[in-house]
Amino acid sequence: MKSLGELERLTDDLIRGAKSGAVDPRASLELEKLTASVASAQELARLRGEIERERQEYAMLEEVSLRLSSAAEVRDVLRAILESLRQVVSYDAAGIFVFNKDLGVIEVDMLAGYQGAQKRRVYSKFQDGVKQGEGIVATVVFNGKPLYVPDVTKDPRYVEVRPTTRSELAVPIFVRDELIGAFNLEADRAEAFTDRDLRILTTFASHAGVALDRARADRQRQHTRRIEEELSLARKIHMGFLPKTMPRFEPYDIGGMNFPSSEVGGDYYDFIRITNDDLGIVMSDVAGHGVAAALLMANFRACIRIEARAHYAIETILTRVNEFLTETNPPDSFVTAVYGVLNRTHHILTYSNAGHNPPLLIRNDQVKQLDVGGPILGFLESASYSVSRIQIEPGDLLIFYTDGVTESRDLSGEEFGVERLAELSRRYASLPAHEMARRISHDVYAFQAPDSTVDDLTLSVVKYD
Amino acid sequence: MKVKTSELNGIYVVGLSGKIMGGPESVQFHDAMKQALAGNTKRVIIDLGEVEWMNSSGIGLLVSAYTTLKNAGAEMKLARTTDKIQSLLVITKLNSVFDSHDTVESAVKSFG
Repeated sequence: MKSLGELERLTDDLIRGAKSGAVDPRASLELEKLTASVASAQELARLRGEIERERQEYAMLEEVSLRLSSAAEVRDVLRAILESLRQVVSYDAAGIFVFNKDLGVIEVDMLAGYQGAQKRRVYSKFQDGVKQGEGIVATVVFNGKPLYVPDVTKDPRYVEVRPTTRSELAVPIFVRDELIGAFNLEADRAEAFTDRDLRILTTFASHAGVALDRARADRQRQHTRRIEEELSLARKIHMGFLPKTMPRFEPYDIGGMNFPSSEVGGDYYDFIRITNDDLGIVMSDVAGHGVAAALLMANFRACIRIEARAHYAIETILTRVNEFLTETNPPDSFVTAVYGVLNRTHHILTYSNAGHNPPLLIRNDQVKQLDVGGPILGFLESASYSVSRIQIEPGDLLIFYTDGVTESRDLSGEEFGVERLAELSRRYASLPAHEMARRISHDVYAFQAPDSTVDDLTLSVVKYD
Repeated sequence: MKVKTSELNGIYVVGLSGKIMGGPESVQFHDAMKQALAGNTKRVIIDLGEVEWMNSSGIGLLVSAYTTLKNAGAEMKLARTTDKIQSLLVITKLNSVFDSHDTVESAVKSFG
C-alpha cells in the first residue's frame, strides 16, 4: 500500500500535469491505478483529510513536547497527553500505568473515561497485584510488546472494568530502553483501532515516559532532601545531649570525645554530678542508627539522669532503667551501658556493666576489664545487675569506650581490639586526659580501612594523677 | 547477609551467612521468623556457622527474634556461634539468655 505522502505527491503531480497540458505517462498510469482503487473524488477528499489529520497529529505532538519542557506537574502533563491524544485518535477510555519494581505491582497513574465506580475497580484490581496473563495492561507491562485486542469478548486475557468496552489497544512505555509501564486505550466498538493509532499511541507513550521519568527523579530528590533534613535534626539532638565541657573533679583529670558516624549515631556518654564528691559516669551505645536511635537515646538519657539522682544503689538504677526501656522499646532496639560512680575522697569506683564493652582499668602493666553487671538494657523484663567496687590508686587510668573503637576494622578485616586500645592508653598516659582521648581516636581512624562501615566512636578517659 | 530456611524434624532452621549488621536487609530475617510462626512452628534454630562478621545491630536481630518467638510461645536456640558472635554474647551477657550449641544436631537434640 502506498503511503499517504506518496499519494499526495502523486495527485499534486497530476494536477500540475493537467494544468500544463503535459501528462507524465508514468503518472497517468498511476492515476489509472489510483482511480481504480480510490474510485471517487470523495475518496480523494478523505485522503486529503487524512493528510490534514497527520499534520494535526504532528502539531499536537509538538504541543505535548512543549508542555513537557515546561516545569509542569506530572499529572498535568499526563492529562495534557490524554487530551491531545483524543484529538487524533478516538477512544472512550484511557489509562497510564507504571510498574513499581520495588513493590512488584502495577500502579495507576492517570485514567480517563472511567466512571467513578469503574475507576475504583481499576485501582483495586491493580492494588491486589496482577499475575501474568491477567489483563491486557499487565500483559503489555510484563512482555514489553504492544497488544491490540480487536474484540475483547474473544480474548481470555481481557479483564472487564467498563462493560461497554469492545476493543483495547495497549503499548509499553519505555524510558531509555527500560520498560516502565503501559499506556492503554479502550473503545466501545469492536475493531476500533488501526495501525496508525498504534503508531500515534506509541509516540505519545514515549512522551508519557519522559514525564513519568522526570516525576520519578523529582520524587527521589524530595525524598533524599527529607531524609537529610531529618538526619540533620537528629544529629543536632544527639550533639545537644553530649557534654559540652568536661567536669572538674580534682584530683581526677577527665576527658572525652564523640565522633558521630556520617549517619546519626547512638553513642551517648555523660557525667552526672551527684554530690560534691561523687561523680556519675555514663558510657552507652544504642543499637541502630538514625532518628529511632536518637529517640531511644533521649529516653535512656532522661531516665538514667533521673534515676541516678533519685537512688543511691546502682543496681536499683539500672534495674529501673531496664524496666522502663523494656516497656517502651521496639523489640529490636536496646541499649548497652556502663554506669559508675566515682568517689574522690575514698577513691572508689562503684559500677555496673549492662552488656556494654567493658571499660579498662589500667594499672601499670595490668589491664582489668570492668565486666561485672547484667544483660543489655531494654530487652528482658526482669534482669538484675551486679555491682562491683574498685579501689582506684594514683596513676590508674580508666578508659570507657563504645564498640566503634574496638570493632573498627582494617583492610584485612582485623579488629582494632581491646589490646591495641590498652597499649595506646599506656603509651599516651603522660598526656592530659582530653589529649589522650584525642590521640587514641586519631589512631583508630588511621587504623580503619578507608571504606569500612564507620560506627560512632566514643571514648572517655579518667586519670588519677 | 543471606537467609536460608529449612526444616528438620519439625524444627525450623534459619541459616544466616555473610555480614550481619542489621539495617534494611534484616527484613528478610524478620520474614523468616514470621514464616516460622505462620507454619505454627514452636521450635526455631538460628544457624550462625556461616556468619562472616556481626556487630551489635546483628545482636539486635537475635534479640528481636527471641522476643517475637517468645511472645508467640516458641523457643529459639542458636547453633554454631562463631568466636566473634560468642564474644559479643559474652559482652552483652546474653550468653546466659540464649541457649547456644556447637552443632545444629545438638541444638535439635536439646529440644528433646
